[in-house]
Parts: sequence; C-alpha cells; structure tokens
Amino acid sequence: MKVSRRGFFQVLGLGAAGAVASPDRSDASSPSASLGEGMGMLVDTTECIGCRKCEYACDHAHELTGQPPSAFEDLSILDTPRRMDEDSFTVVNRYPNPDNPEKPISVKIQCMHCLRPACTSACLVGALQVAENGAVVYEAWKCLGCRYCMVACPFGVPTYEYHEPFTPQVRKCTFCHERVTHEGKIPACAEMCPPMALTFGQRSELLELAHKKIADNPERYINHVYGEHEVGGTSWLYLAPREFEELGFLKLGPGALPSLTEPIQHAIFKFGIPPLTLYGLLGAMMWAYRNGDDPPVSHDMEGETNDA
Amino acid sequence: MPCLPKILISGLIAGFPCLSPLAACAFEGAADLRNRPCVDCHACNAPTREAPCLRGCPRPHEVAPTPIPATATADIPDFFVLDQLSDLYGPVFFPHKLHADMEGMAQGCAVCHHHNPPGKILGCKECHGGPSNPEHLGQPGLKGAYHRQCLSCHREWSHETDCAVCHQPRENGHIIPVTPEATDIMGRLHPNVKPPGKWVYKTPDMPEGGVVTFHHGEHIQLFGLACVECHRKENCSRCHGGTAPNHRVRTDPHEDCSACHDVSDNCTRCHAQSETAGFEHGRRTGFSLKPYHSERDCAACHVGGKVFGGLSPDCRSCHAPDWMPEAFDHKLTGLELDELHQEASCADCHVAGLGKPVGCAGCHEDGKQYPETLPGKRVGDATAPGK
Ligand code: SF4
Ligand code: SF4
Ligand code: SF4
Repeated sequence: MKVSRRGFFQVLGLGAAGAVASPDRSDASSPSASLGEGMGMLVDTTECIGCRKCEYACDHAHELTGQPPSAFEDLSILDTPRRMDEDSFTVVNRYPNPDNPEKPISVKIQCMHCLRPACTSACLVGALQVAENGAVVYEAWKCLGCRYCMVACPFGVPTYEYHEPFTPQVRKCTFCHERVTHEGKIPACAEMCPPMALTFGQRSELLELAHKKIADNPERYINHVYGEHEVGGTSWLYLAPREFEELGFLKLGPGALPSLTEPIQHAIFKFGIPPLTLYGLLGAMMWAYRNGDDPPVSHDMEGETNDA
Repeated sequence: MPCLPKILISGLIAGFPCLSPLAACAFEGAADLRNRPCVDCHACNAPTREAPCLRGCPRPHEVAPTPIPATATADIPDFFVLDQLSDLYGPVFFPHKLHADMEGMAQGCAVCHHHNPPGKILGCKECHGGPSNPEHLGQPGLKGAYHRQCLSCHREWSHETDCAVCHQPRENGHIIPVTPEATDIMGRLHPNVKPPGKWVYKTPDMPEGGVVTFHHGEHIQLFGLACVECHRKENCSRCHGGTAPNHRVRTDPHEDCSACHDVSDNCTRCHAQSETAGFEHGRRTGFSLKPYHSERDCAACHVGGKVFGGLSPDCRSCHAPDWMPEAFDHKLTGLELDELHQEASCADCHVAGLGKPVGCAGCHEDGKQYPETLPGKRVGDATAPGK
C-alpha cells in the first residue's frame, strides 16, 4: 500500500499547485462532440473459435507474464468462467450453445472502453481518461491507488496489483493505445485473431457493419449489438447468436453510469470542501486501509459480476 | 471500339440495366451482367475504366450467386498449397477435391464460394486479397477468410484450434512435418459412406402405432436414390466425431418422407404397432415381380416419375396389344396349371378379371373352390398372386 502513499504525495503536490488540475476530466464525464466517433472493436462471437490467441497476443504485446504461446493452448480452462486479473487484460470464456452443442460460444472480455466511463468519472485525479480516439487509458503516475474505479466500473474490469509491494497499479486493457496511436498498428489481439472475429475500426462504421450483419443473417445473430447503448455506449461492441445474459454479460440500461458517480463527487465540491482537504481526507482513508486487504466493496463487485 | 464510352453512358443512366456488352470488358464470360443494373457492381454513378469504383465484392442480394454446375466436379482442382505464411509455417495442403466430393450433401460449392458473382468460380483470394481492408470492414482479410472457412466445420468435430493441426511449424528454418505431404492427398476423394440398413423411430404419441420403420438401405438399393436426393443440408460433424446424436434435427418430422410420399393421411402406412418388414412388391400389391419383372427398375413400369402404383395386375394393361394369352406360361405366377386347366381360357377361372378373386363354380358343380383345391401345383415363389 506504499504506493498509495507515493501517489498521495504526488497528487497532494498537484492539488496544492492547482487543485484538480486534471484537464480531460470534464471530457470524460460529460458528453462531448466526439462522443462515439472514436475507434471501436466489433467482436463477432459467432466467429470466435475460442483459441485464446488474443490472450497470448495481449500478454506478449504488454509483456504481462511473458509466457510462450504454448501456455495459452489449454482450452479446458475455458469452461470455468474467468475474470481478468493484474496479469491479464483479456480472457476468453466459453458458454454452452444449446443450438449446436458442438459449437460452444466463446466470448473474449476486456475493458469495454465506455464512451462515458464510470471509472474515469470515479477517478478523483484523472488517472483514467478517455483519449481522443475513444480508448480509456490509465496513467499510473497520477493514480492514488484508491481503487474507486474498480468499484465504479459496471463490468468489474479494473484489477489491482495487490501483491506488488512498491508500485502497484490499476490494470486493465489499454485498447493498445501505444500501438495504435504511435506505431500505427491495430490492437494486438485483433491482429492475431485467426478467424478475424475482432474487427477494429471507427465505432460508427462498426455499428453500421454490425447492423448489416444482423440484417443479412437474421438466423445467425440476435438483434442486439451489445455496447451500442449499454451504459451510454461502449467502444467495444459484441454480436452474439444468443441472448447476452447467457454469455456472461450483465443486463445494463442505456444510462451512462457517471450519472451515478458524479453526484457524489459534485456534492463534495458543492459543499465547498476544498480539493486539498478532500485529498487529505482520501489520503487518510487510504492510510487507514494500508495494512488491510482489499476493501470490502470490491468483493461485492466481483460477486455480482460472477453471478451474472 | 473499347467499351469505355458505353460504360460511361450506361453509368450516367445508372439504375437502368447495362445494355452495352459490358460483360466482355469487365467480366470474362459473365454475359448475365448485361441485364444487371450498373449499381450492382459499381458504387458510383459514372464508373470509368480508370476509376471503375467497383464494390468490394458483390453481396448475395446484389448479385445472385451462380449455381455451380454439376459438371464442375469433373474438373475441380485437386488440391491447393496455401503458403502465404511460409516464413512462419510450412505450407498448408488443402485437399480441395476431397472436400468438393461431399459438396452435394453439404449444401453445395456455394457454402465456401459464398458470394460468387455470375461467371467463373472465384477462389478465396480474389475477394479476400490480403490483410483486412479498412474500406471494407465486413470483408475479412485472407487469414480470416481461410480460418473461418476451415474452422467453422473442423472445430466442430475435432474441438481443436491448435495451429499445428494444419500448419507445419518451422523450427530453426526447418519444417516439422505434422500434416500429409502433397502427394498423400492428391486425387483423394471422400471415402464412401456406408449407408445404414434401417432406422426405427418411436412415435409414442401416435394412436395409429408407436413405431415407424424406415428401411434406409432399401431406398438406395431397391429404389436407386442417390444420397443427395435426401441429404442436402448435412453438417460434416454429423459423421465426423462430435458428441451430438447423429440423427437429423427436423422441424417437421415428415420433412424427408413427404418429399416423395403423401403423408397427409393414411398414417398406418408407416406408423405401426411394431417394426415392419421391408418392401416386397408381391406382399404390398398382390403382384409378384418374380421372375420376369424382378430385374426391372421401378421406373421401367411406373413411368412418370415419383408416382408409383396405379398399374393394373392385368398383364394386358402393360403388354397389350402384342401380348397373346395363348403364349402365357401360368407357371410364372407361382401356380403351374395341370393339363386340364391349361385347356381353359383365362376368363373361365378369372371370372371377375385378372388379379380379382377367381370363380370355380362355372365348371365345378361339386363345390370345389380355390384356393382349397388348386388347379395345379404351387411352384417357386410363395408370394405369387392368387395365393
Ligand atoms: S469497462 Fe469499466 S474500466 Fe473500462 S471504460 Fe468502462 S467503466 Fe472504465
Ligand atoms: S486491445 Fe490491446 S490491451 Fe486490450 S485486450 Fe486487446 S491486446 Fe489487450
Ligand atoms: S483470438 Fe479471436 S478467435 Fe481466438 S479466442 Fe480470441 S477472439 Fe476468439
């Protein structure tokens, strides 16, 4: 928990210098002109063969565990639902397919890169932000270690390096922001996927494509693009042959979740608690947790997600 | 004169059928294109030779896929070597003919050659040229196209997605062979499928009888049906591995039978209390085919397609007018007449007509009756008419 302390002092410095000086926060938590016009990824679960090559590609591209491809060939683990952890930004789960028992439905999960993310809105210091192309990116140096993002995320995505003694970070899919913006490549998972079940492109074009696919093959897909409206829209979109609730997805409304988290923050500011005091308060909270395990809230979140 | 001006003109009136011999310029042998609206293939209003603005690949509702002629199977390519990734893997040998051999039962060539426009049959590469094109997000690159085609069936039966199943990995520049050599797969056809003899279905809800016996082998051997006449939408994994029950899932249980049989009434014809024996012409119709008709195809007598029956057991109904009663050897019916009865005319006994109950009273005043007393002796076939 020492990082919290480090982060605390870093941000304390920031706070002292110019209070909440995170410039993009407002972009992230309020609708902007470019909302939904960034990049996206369309996951066609009817094409996904459950090979876990995306897991390997992601691991390799981000130097997560550094295991060889052979470490990702065991497909038997697909049947026990897995979640991301601090060493995996994406996992593939497999669900039975009553329409064809020979072809189970495999679903790759990762951060959904919400258009109006709850995580960025919950983050008090702007360590999580929506980049220009729609990717929700994390900057470790700003992070307090408060893990509010983990609680706020409706998909239970961010994980935390609990056993990292000095520089624990919040971990989640980066949408390969570096690769995409600086190397001109497509995300590593999409590049490797053998059947090209992952299509990277403009979110608006992907939505168009998704609806065309449904219209052209009504017997193949249910008429629902997951992520089109859920929590105000997400950059990752899914097509599926069966109801999403059967495939481990949560049933979520179209309302953006920041509308739930924002009032809390706004209230804090409204009641005139100066940022410095706020961070002092939060820092104190973090100190209080410093020897404890995960805060109980994150357990609750995991429980909910797994039940779904 | 090059067709450019004509294309231009027809382009300007896009939406009208191309009346120019456009096909000759654009599409080898695709004369059908003449009657298609330009916009089927061209995305802009004024396509030119330099900027034809061709659509990525025509979609089914834009250009109907060509039915692939049955004769195509004679000269289909034997196998393909896929070696686009030869720096990473050894080449993949794809036994094309072996797959095409089952095409009839597996919904035809169009299952793989899915959006084939009119004209020649296109290989995957013609539309899925290389890496994905951001202009055509819905059209996967070559890697995706190959993997989707292969794995959509193969993973169903092998439950494997292991690269080495198809790709021979390279190690230190050398190929580690795991898949067959090209010569192993040359000319290979799908092994013959051994047809089952019969299927017995339980229909407990039918008051007419809870058992339907389907004599599958009989339909092939006796009635000469080819597999594809019934099996048209088969899934490879029905036979190849898999854990699913290997009978077909039908929405309408009569689906297959009703293609040939009238299933609207007469339930007891198939639904019985217990298993029924196979088809035997003599038993079913009272007219034995032995010995003269047993080698004949059904259709030789039952001319006119799928409607069987309707023929009379009266020999003259088929053999008239050159068939002479005097020449008839009654032994063929399974009953050899004694000398006395050979003298009689047909109508003396067949008072109600051939194939109908016989009458003896015209001659026999002593009350002798058929079949208690026979006008001769039985020979050969016990199922002969008149038994
Ligand atoms: S899925 Fe969760 S972590 Fe990802 S952007 Fe949305 S709220 Fe943030
Ligand atoms: S987009 Fe990049 S970080 Fe996210 S799952 Fe794919 S490879 Fe991993
Ligand atoms: S690499 Fe593609 S096909 Fe394989 S599990 Fe990941 S998403 Fe599915």
